[in-house]
Amino acid sequence: MKGAASSSLALRLAAFALIVVFFQVGVVSELPVFGVDADLCSLLVAFVGLTCGSSVGAACGFAVGLLVDLALLQTLGLTSLILTLIGYWCGRLRELRDPQAALTPLIVGAVASAVALVGYSLMEFMLGVDAPVSFELLRQIVLGVLVNTILALPMWALTRRALEGALPEDARRRRRRRSYTTGGLSPLIKP
Amino acid sequence: MPDKTVRRRRALLGLLVVLSLLLLTAYFGEAPSGRLHAVQRDFLTVVSPLQDGANKALKPVRDLFDWFGNAAHAKSQLAQSVKETDKLRRELVADQAEKRTEHQLLALYHLDQLGVNDYRPVTAEVVYNAPNIWYSTVTIDKGESAGVRVNDPVIDGEGLVGKVAQVAPDGALVDLITDSSMGVTARIGTSNATGLLQPKVGEPGDLQLLYLPANQASVGEYVVTAGTVAPPPYESLYPPGLLIGKVSSVNEESAYESVTVRPVANLHDLGIVQVLTSGAGTRPSNLSQLAASLPAGQSAPSGEQLASTQVGG
Repeated sequence: MKGAASSSLALRLAAFALIVVFFQVGVVSELPVFGVDADLCSLLVAFVGLTCGSSVGAACGFAVGLLVDLALLQTLGLTSLILTLIGYWCGRLRELRDPQAALTPLIVGAVASAVALVGYSLMEFMLGVDAPVSFELLRQIVLGVLVNTILALPMWALTRRALEGALPEDARRRRRRRSYTTGGLSPLIKP
Repeated sequence: MPDKTVRRRRALLGLLVVLSLLLLTAYFGEAPSGRLHAVQRDFLTVVSPLQDGANKALKPVRDLFDWFGNAAHAKSQLAQSVKETDKLRRELVADQAEKRTEHQLLALYHLDQLGVNDYRPVTAEVVYNAPNIWYSTVTIDKGESAGVRVNDPVIDGEGLVGKVAQVAPDGALVDLITDSSMGVTARIGTSNATGLLQPKVGEPGDLQLLYLPANQASVGEYVVTAGTVAPPPYESLYPPGLLIGKVSSVNEESAYESVTVRPVANLHDLGIVQVLTSGAGTRPSNLSQLAASLPAGQSAPSGEQLASTQVGG
């Protein structure tokens, strides 16, 4: 039963990731907003980590990064490395804090985008790209984070919708839900 | 049990990070003909039909967004275009007499004015744009099977776009002129002084024409490819006279001018491009042969002179 659920999740993830990567490179990258391109891939990986956990997030990050690098003939391994870390950290956030606030996807999306853009810039500097830390670079990063933050909520809803029904049931979350629904931890009910 | 889960989780993260670093190191260290580059090219060959299909299917979505963007942009460009048209009309009248004389001179040497068609252009569609500021590249749907080779110049309806960097059987990667790896010998349209055109560091959308003698450029002038200015075997990859951009500012530093150039081609919204497949140095070598066949005391017009008769590449 558990194996069937995880293979269903893997299939859905693979299909959804493929669609998002093709949409990113085929459409989004040709539609600049405020002069920058949205980065759906980092949002996708962050939200997969946030819904499925650190291991799935990291694996998804690696696979999506590899696909992007292969499709765009970029330096292999660069995007994989950054997205793996983003997927893992977002997964750990879910496992350690399990944030339920409505604004969580917005904040996670913004932070993930900032980490991706700054990480990418740092890696490029380390690989020897000849560019100074200029106002233009800073502007691109700030606007990139802003555009991604705007897209975070729709992307979160899409990710939830795509993976609905195949998500792993977390024991801690299940316990918490049970205790709330039976009134065990409710402050309105006196013992 | 939790220990086991934690260990497994950390092991997976470590494995993926190490794998990424290994890929990064191997890719960065190998030559463009290496294995990992070959894998990328093979991947491109496999997914090019998919990319092509997705590109066509998603075109209406892009067009819709483009329409909104273009409508706003067009309004701001209208007034500027009217001014430019007036200026160009005046210049055209003045140039016509000069051009007639040049045509007569060219006819003396039995040379027709060479257009883009003489460079065996292959029309291709852009299927991918690199999505970040670090990679100024696009992927096109024509490759080796259509005669495209590495270093072939790429143009669009407006001007020079870049050059082919990698080729697969049915696709190719094009480095745009704003890519940090690019350098083009160029000149100001009205002068014969050449300089080196490179991406402007820190300004991803702009170019910089370096090593240009002082007082050669003014704002608003067009910048075109200079063609070959060095002796063989150092022919330029680009035919002379291809329009690249427009001077947007001039900084006079020391003996040389540094000119900022804004590309005329809209590099962020490329659709159809042409790859000039006739190879580097074709035209200058033709001219060299012609020069050799001329009687003593005569010389063939240089590529630079010919370029001045071309309009817009």
